[in-house]
Amino acid sequence: MTAQEVRLCGLLLQEHFGEVVEKVGRNLLKSGTQNLRAIVHETGLSVDLVKKSLCVLVQHGACSFIQGRKGPGSPTEYKAHCDRVLRILRYPRYIYTAKTLYGDTGELIIEELLQRGHMTMSNTVKTVADRLTQSMDEGSSMDYGEVSATFSKLVETHFLQRCPPAAGAGTTGSSQTANSTSAAPASSTAPTPESFPDCYRVPQVTLIGRSKRSLASEEGEDQRNAKKAKMDPETHGDEGIYWQVNFERFHQHFRDQTIISAVANKLDQTSSEIVRTMLRMSEVTTSSTAPCTKPLSANEIFRSLPATYNIPRHILDQYLTLLVDDPMEFVGKAGESGGGMYIVNLNQALANLARATLESIVQERFGSRSARIFRLLLRKRHLEQKQVEDFAMIPAKEAKDMLYTLLSQNLVQLQEIPKTPDFAPSRTFYLYTVNQLPTARLLLQNCYKTVANLMERRLFEAKESKRLLEKSQRIEAILASLQASGAEPEQLTEVEEMITAPEKQQLDSLRLHVNKLDSAENQVDETIFLLESYISSSTKPTS
Amino acid sequence: MAGRGRGRRPFGTDSSISRGEGLPPGLQQPTPVFPVMEQKPLPLAGGEEAEYLLALKQDFRGVMKNLPFFIKPAAAQRDVQRYSDKYHSSEQTNSLTDWNLEPSCLHVSGFQTGDDSPESCRSTSGGESEKKEEHEQSSEEEEGGVKKKPEEEEGAEAEEEYDEEELEEETDYIMSYFDNGEEFGGDSDDNMDEAIY
Repeated sequence: MTAQEVRLCGLLLQEHFGEVVEKVGRNLLKSGTQNLRAIVHETGLSVDLVKKSLCVLVQHGACSFIQGRKGPGSPTEYKAHCDRVLRILRYPRYIYTAKTLYGDTGELIIEELLQRGHMTMSNTVKTVADRLTQSMDEGSSMDYGEVSATFSKLVETHFLQRCPPAAGAGTTGSSQTANSTSAAPASSTAPTPESFPDCYRVPQVTLIGRSKRSLASEEGEDQRNAKKAKMDPETHGDEGIYWQVNFERFHQHFRDQTIISAVANKLDQTSSEIVRTMLRMSEVTTSSTAPCTKPLSANEIFRSLPATYNIPRHILDQYLTLLVDDPMEFVGKAGESGGGMYIVNLNQALANLARATLESIVQERFGSRSARIFRLLLRKRHLEQKQVEDFAMIPAKEAKDMLYTLLSQNLVQLQEIPKTPDFAPSRTFYLYTVNQLPTARLLLQNCYKTVANLMERRLFEAKESKRLLEKSQRIEAILASLQASGAEPEQLTEVEEMITAPEKQQLDSLRLHVNKLDSAENQVDETIFLLESYISSSTKPTS
Repeated sequence: MAGRGRGRRPFGTDSSISRGEGLPPGLQQPTPVFPVMEQKPLPLAGGEEAEYLLALKQDFRGVMKNLPFFIKPAAAQRDVQRYSDKYHSSEQTNSLTDWNLEPSCLHVSGFQTGDDSPESCRSTSGGESEKKEEHEQSSEEEEGGVKKKPEEEEGAEAEEEYDEEELEEETDYIMSYFDNGEEFGGDSDDNMDEAIY
């Protein structure tokens, strides 16, 4: 929980949940696990507000609670999850991916679940069907069955998962959990959603019919209908079963996409199709933390290639050999049976992609010659200053300058190897080296700081022009109401002219700046994803 | 800037200082807020996907501001307590979450009635320790009652909304009677020639 991460989490919470939740969340992140009284005391907010904020955080999975550690009577303790809050940056990417895979229905399902944290299947289906009906033409409405089918598909491919049944919520003492059917383990770590066998089972839901289009013109009837709908609550057989978005599965998908596009950039389209086929075949058999996919024989790959790519068998073999020999080591050979067994080296691929990112960062900040030195050190591990100058073919004075700049930015480290027990400078080797993992961590923290700075700048710009923004919003509301009530064009132009031309210019430039800053946040998040995946894949204990 | 400020080289590594020279001249003013970059950054990636992602992001933020999860701090104290405060519409906080998933001590009866007024906040913060004990004891009864309560409450609130225009409990006046004129003038009049005071 570094300072930069806490700062960024605070900004994200403030933008999406308000200042109250931000205070509570920030306090939890900085102080670790705390109980309710401590939070109330430290934040100075009222108990009600703190309770509400905690509910919101728990609802969205950003906070978890455990029974007190000091014995059965102690109060519940709360813990905030920093990485879960940082996921908020990636929400647009999740929604867009769902759209590309499952169309508008899938997009809306994921969007609703991300907005609400977790929901039952019936609620989700109804809300999404209503939203789709709003945007469809008059007279047609969305069938619940279609939306349910898309929901089931999302669950089958593991993009959605059930929320784990709450351990300790709703029970007063820990003695009750001893033989409870919710099977909460007695250990202090929270159970993962996947440890429950029903994680991906779609419940039997009785949800037949079509969504009702709400008619804006007949408000009285609509209110009566709404009243009727609320008076008899419909149960659909899945009360208490809540669904949430499975971020790990999305991350797997992003990782696969990155590998495929890297192969396409380095080699060609056909090789990327082969790698895509291999990854698709191993989706269900490979766990998300495996270092490489299960071995696939060349025969299987040949059979599973998409029909549009009818390359002959020997060409496929040549492509596979090419992929194996490539220095990027995306694909490896694991045996000879079945025409050759091939695997995709996931961890290796991530490490290579992270390395390429680091090199490109150095190149863009310090120039291509410094990047040459950086790449050299990555490859050759430890080099003396003289050797660096020789291998990089850069004049001594400039090489020295560049090395010292990189050293001061902590991208390059100095290793001293003494010849004598006293570290006399004339009798010590000074070797320059680059360690990929710590450098990746450093740049990841820089990325967090960058996003936090971008957000602060965006909030600052909006605050500066707050008066102007409010005025323009009022004008838009007036225009909308005028148009709805059918006014003449002269009145519309009169209202539009209430904003003067320089104000319009100011508004346009403000919009441009805000869009740029937002777009930059999205882009930095791509780098964050890559570096985070690399770091988590290389710090896992390898069996 | 020859070796000044943060992120610069360690002192003795400046190649322009050779042996025997004095120290460089001292700094006369603070370092610039935005130092000049040697390399200009690359332009942002444009394209359809980036714009769609941008639109998604801004929409999401806008929607989140209107959901019940966006908790605003207690409304600013009015100078005088008014009778109409009771009848201003309050959020439906009972639809916030399923209470079975929250720990028992977070069940607040104030949630169900959606009572956010500053008075209740002040009174609860005064008696917070008593309230907590009371909740821990009554959590079991609340557990059973909680599920029925949201449904009851939803029915009652819906009725309230529906009847807002005509009937209101305890009062004979329609809701627009309690508007205190703050929203007046937001919509335009048909005749723009008259000055609005």
